Amino acid sequence: MVAVAFNKVWKNYADGTVAVKELDLRIEDGTFVSLLGPSGCGKSTSLRMLAGLEHISAGEIVFGDKVVNNLPPKDRDIAMVFENYALYPHKTVFDNMANPLRQAKVAAAEIKRRVTDAARLLEIDHLLQRRPWELSGGQKQRTAIGRAIVRQPQVFLFDEPIAHLDAKLRARMRSELKHLQLQLGVTTIYVTHDQLEALTMADLIAVMNDGVLQQFGTPREIYENPANSWVATFVGEPQMSLLEMTVRDTSGKPALIFGEHTINLDPENAARVAAAGRKDLLVGVRPDRATVSLRETPDSIKGEVYARQLLGADVLVEVETGRGRVRAKADIAFQGKVDAPCSLSFRSEDLYFFDAADGTAIPRLQ
Amino acid sequence: MASHQIISYDKGVAVKILQWIGPVFLAFYLVWSLLPLFIMLVSSIKDLLDAFSLPAPGDWAGVTVFFDFSPTFTHYVALFTENNFGAYLINSLVASIGSALIAVTLGSMCAYSLSRSTFRGKKDLLFFIISTRMAPIVAVIVPLYAIFRSFDLVGTLPGLILAFTTFNLPFAIWMLKGFFDGVPYAIEEAAQVDGQNRFQAFLTILPLVAPGIGAFVILCILFAWNDFLFATIIGSGGAKTLPAATKELVQPQNIDWGKIMAAGVVTTLPMIPLGLLVRRYLVAGLTMGAVKE
Repeated sequence: MVAVAFNKVWKNYADGTVAVKELDLRIEDGTFVSLLGPSGCGKSTSLRMLAGLEHISAGEIVFGDKVVNNLPPKDRDIAMVFENYALYPHKTVFDNMANPLRQAKVAAAEIKRRVTDAARLLEIDHLLQRRPWELSGGQKQRTAIGRAIVRQPQVFLFDEPIAHLDAKLRARMRSELKHLQLQLGVTTIYVTHDQLEALTMADLIAVMNDGVLQQFGTPREIYENPANSWVATFVGEPQMSLLEMTVRDTSGKPALIFGEHTINLDPENAARVAAAGRKDLLVGVRPDRATVSLRETPDSIKGEVYARQLLGADVLVEVETGRGRVRAKADIAFQGKVDAPCSLSFRSEDLYFFDAADGTAIPRLQ
Repeated sequence: MASHQIISYDKGVAVKILQWIGPVFLAFYLVWSLLPLFIMLVSSIKDLLDAFSLPAPGDWAGVTVFFDFSPTFTHYVALFTENNFGAYLINSLVASIGSALIAVTLGSMCAYSLSRSTFRGKKDLLFFIISTRMAPIVAVIVPLYAIFRSFDLVGTLPGLILAFTTFNLPFAIWMLKGFFDGVPYAIEEAAQVDGQNRFQAFLTILPLVAPGIGAFVILCILFAWNDFLFATIIGSGGAKTLPAATKELVQPQNIDWGKIMAAGVVTTLPMIPLGLLVRRYLVAGLTMGAVKE
């Protein structure tokens, strides 16, 4: 168990693509950190550099106080779970899980004890003599996790371990993995493209896009205070809607102009927007904070229903305002059909503000 | 899951005719391929007079004359006592198995590295490797002989093994590279994370290419076992193998048919159980990786 740090780490490939740009990240001992981003954002590459499976182009990776750049994977004392499980197809579940211990020259009796313990924890103890092809996806994944936890490594690395499981199993594995990590207390780095996985499991999330770290913070920080519009739209499901608005000073108080509508701001946000001094803003609103109604209310924005999706308990209504579409969650009783005129409203306290030019968040006032 | 039933529709006349032609063709094919083996086997246990007693042309009832003989093993006994075939059999075994083992050891390591690494000129190197197999052996046998001669390798078993390996290695590299390509890289990565070094990781995935290695070893043994050109030119003298020794039974004044037939049986027999034993292995080996699962 050890703290892990990326110090200005770069990854360039021979063909000129840059997978990771100057990654600076410090992961405290025993924390569960999720690297979150869309495919191709450099999150897996970062993890693989950490594992020693990928060469580090520049910068250094530090475990505790030891630079590991030139250590092969076997000397880094890590355990990794791969996206496609990477079990040894010709070995039984027992032998798959025993392999790291055998490499570490652990005595046979001890291996048996530890593998059986891990298998019991993962509820695969009845499968120990099976081979990978006789296992279901979930069982394979448990075996892969078992192989990682039989040894008490310094760091756990998970590379989208549950991406290929069906939704129900995924939900269950999320809580099990989280539970397991708390129990073992090992520093864990978990790569995923699924923001729900990151939000539900991680102590801290590092959001990456295009090889660049966008934001590093707790799930709540990421959700409530996204560093920029990209993070804001990537995290949160259904996605946040962004609208271009301009700021106008009306009698000393800034208000937002959206087409013919004027949106008055609460005092805190008014001060915040005034302090930033930007004229063009991207204003974000999360679907569960937007209200759509068929009745017209004084401060609402007029639009038409563009599409509606049933989410189960609610309906996700996409409203075409003429200047961009806004997603809003409505009660299942919402009657609006496609093309029906409707009105949209939200509280200004629930809005997110970004600079229209570069997408960075307008800082909150302390 | 999709079923793989063969759906049968109403058949046309052409199809019905084809259905008759098939078995007839197969019957001819069976005779065509088995008759020589049968004649070889039967002639090897006949004495010379019986072997050459043939029915008159058109006399189909006279076919029984083929079977009218008292079996004798004199040819076999003579092969091993007079013609030293015991030593040649051992030469054949050592040369073919030896070259197969060397080729598969070097070939699998080379194929692994070619499969896993990328470097400039890799395609050219691969082409160069296979191009050594493009020239027929006769085209290179003279310079090869000169080279072997200057290293005093002519007529020695190591020389013969080297000659076979020269020709089997490119084949091994190409065939096994395909198998290694089919093994997911992640398995080795998992092995490395488990605490193995690169070479141990290579050994870990070796069982996954076992069908390929098995298939290759067999093809390699078959090539060396049946080879005649290398055996007569490089191996002649001290490292005579069965085919080369059989050829020497044909002498200007006397062709010893009985012994030749017996030598043919001795040469063929060990390969038949090998072929039967590994048939499934070979098929699995050659088709593995053909379809992504």
